[in-house]
Amino acid sequence: MSSFREVNYTLRPAKAVERRMLGEMFRRLHPFGRVEDYQYVGFGSIYFSDFQLVHRSLGIDEMISIEKDTNAKACFEFNKPFASIDLIFGHSADVLPLLKWETKSIVWLDYDGRLNLDVLSDISTFCTKAASGSVLVLTVNAQPELDPGEASRNQFAHDHGGKFDVGAYRLSKLEENIPGKVPPGTDGRSLRQYGVASAFYRTIINQIEEQLSVRNSTLRTKDMMAWRQFAHFLYKDDALMLTVGVVVFNETDRTVYDACSFQGLDFVRLDDSPYIIRVPCLTTKELQHLNSQLPAKDPNTRPTCPGVPDRDIDTYREVYRYFPNFSEVLWT
Amino acid sequence: MAESRNEGLQRDPNRINAAPSKEFFIYMLTRDVQLSRAIIDLLDNCVDGAKRLRANGSFDGLWVTITISPDLFSITDNCGGIPVEVARDYAFRFGRPKTAKDTPGSMGLFGVGMKRTFFKLGNRFEVKSKCETEEFDLNVDVNQWVEMGEDDPNDWHFQFSSVTTGIPATPERETGTEIIVTELHPAIQSVFALENFQTQLMSEVTAAHMLSLQRGLGITVNRLPVQLQKPSLFVSDEVQPAVQDLTFERRQLDGKEGEGVHVRLLAGLSIRSYPDGGWYVFCNGRLVLKADKTAASIWGTSHSMRQYHPDFAYFRGYTFFDSAVSALLPWTTTKTGVDIDSALYKAVQQQMIEISKPILAFLSSMAKGQQEGQIDEGALDDSLSIAQSTEIQNITTIAAFRANVKQVPTGPKYGRIQYSKPIEQIEKVKTLMKAKSLKEIGERSFDYFLEYEGGE
Repeated sequence: MSSFREVNYTLRPAKAVERRMLGEMFRRLHPFGRVEDYQYVGFGSIYFSDFQLVHRSLGIDEMISIEKDTNAKACFEFNKPFASIDLIFGHSADVLPLLKWETKSIVWLDYDGRLNLDVLSDISTFCTKAASGSVLVLTVNAQPELDPGEASRNQFAHDHGGKFDVGAYRLSKLEENIPGKVPPGTDGRSLRQYGVASAFYRTIINQIEEQLSVRNSTLRTKDMMAWRQFAHFLYKDDALMLTVGVVVFNETDRTVYDACSFQGLDFVRLDDSPYIIRVPCLTTKELQHLNSQLPAKDPNTRPTCPGVPDRDIDTYREVYRYFPNFSEVLWT
Repeated sequence: MAESRNEGLQRDPNRINAAPSKEFFIYMLTRDVQLSRAIIDLLDNCVDGAKRLRANGSFDGLWVTITISPDLFSITDNCGGIPVEVARDYAFRFGRPKTAKDTPGSMGLFGVGMKRTFFKLGNRFEVKSKCETEEFDLNVDVNQWVEMGEDDPNDWHFQFSSVTTGIPATPERETGTEIIVTELHPAIQSVFALENFQTQLMSEVTAAHMLSLQRGLGITVNRLPVQLQKPSLFVSDEVQPAVQDLTFERRQLDGKEGEGVHVRLLAGLSIRSYPDGGWYVFCNGRLVLKADKTAASIWGTSHSMRQYHPDFAYFRGYTFFDSAVSALLPWTTTKTGVDIDSALYKAVQQQMIEISKPILAFLSSMAKGQQEGQIDEGALDDSLSIAQSTEIQNITTIAAFRANVKQVPTGPKYGRIQYSKPIEQIEKVKTLMKAKSLKEIGERSFDYFLEYEGGE
């Protein structure tokens, strides 16, 4: 396949699709209460893309952006797109425990790095404090460890005795990321392709279960917090990223959860098999041409477009409603 | 007998009742042991069985399977089973009676672990055992057992559901014990539902029973094999770990005649790891102190030693206590530490401290002149890179610690200067200097001043 069909790295289209899909999911929270009344907590950076979404399309006013880079405060303040975003400087571990958790919250912790103890600790904070109806979304880098160079191979073989084994090496790296939390039975040989993502997925779920179990241990049945997963995405703009989204609710709100009917959305995933976001690279003209044939009256009829492979067309059909429109604009 | 005792109670006004209660064992003693440790207590019994079958041989072909779920707990082995006589007279008693026969080199010795674990887990337990020529089955409902009363502890008893003796010889591989605990307590149920608990248990089993795993015992938790980790130290022409053997006569320990206690100490350098550094203590092959960084081993002012420190992250020490008479060894009933008041332990601890000193002094000298926690890894790593990572069971030559690593050159003494300045100013100087690092800024500005102002 020619390179023009590959992903444009600078624009992160898969991330954009994910953001819109999550927005659609957040909208379904309305049985718990007006979505506008949720507070949103995220890592806005200087682009605040997620804040654009939750304010513009969900109408959420109360927004908190956690920013760990304290050296350029003025820059972040300046780039804040809306007045009601409260910019708090510090690490999420320091900031999260201080938030107003009585309010129903949508918390999207969109990390750049891999799953580690800090992330697990942030999960604990959410699980310990979140109000019924709150949502936690986590995004972490789940790219498999590259086969290391000669020097690292030799070093590893020397330190551990015996010959270098890439599986053992990857498992040791995973153990460095999440010491003491690697899911039982994890085989180093599986830590390729989506293997790291599935180990991280299990670790995240285990952490949620454990923390909620501790929280529930002294509560009356009606106050006990259950959790349900709604999002499990994998996507790759450059590195492979894993996103897991869960909603927590107490026994009293169980029927409310059912009323959200997340299952109505195609890309909802309730278990350990992820929805993989694939984004075909298409020109504006191709997009418009395909859009004009969608949604197809007969789902068995594939839209057509000259020169675009069928596989790309099928992929596009799944995501077209969430597909970003990138265009070049000259600001004067 | 019991009646006369009660009469005695009424008769003698000076007699004070000190009888135990069932509740004490069920509700109180169970608090002293962590759940995962309580499970490992049962595993100790399986390993003792393996030792009875194969006193000094390999454990190949012997296995223990542990199942944890919110509905039931079970542990099954093919390690020989519990003889009916042992079950009837000793194994289920609270505390070990004097008349009980010692399994040479055993891990179970207090007569508390198994029952404590049952009570901690749930309300109903079943023990099925099959030996070479006999088998039994025991079912206990703990609540019913409490309601049975039995104020006189001499009346406390359980009842076999079935006992068969004199059966035709069972092949060794079919002998064994199966323990099932059901009606788990709610708190235990919720923990057993967590995969994280399984992870924790497996990692503790790996550590606690590393020697049994090495001898070939197969252990699985929910069908997943527990991995074997082999502790190792660096050995080369330039780096030699310390190995020392000690023997203690039984007469000096408990006044009795017989075989005493053998102790082996190993200490040296391994892969730099802050959490794994420290001292490891084993009693009859069971790890009781793991990567210790406290006064329980060698660290801190009470031993006139430094506290454990990142500079020591290369350090590992191993102590192996072995005795046919396990009661002589310095364990605690939970086997999660050492009995630091034991005279034997104190004597060994002195030797642990002495054997460590040259190694810690070496690591400190490597760190001298360097920032704390950042040993001059170049020189040390160069030496260690040609050393072989060697499993400690293969390090048997009695020797003193030796490391011929080129040290930080002696000569002028070095001091360290550290200061903070606003980032903007630093960036400005950095640009003017075309410096690559903050360290370079510091050094070059110091040299600059010295050159212009420090002249003779």
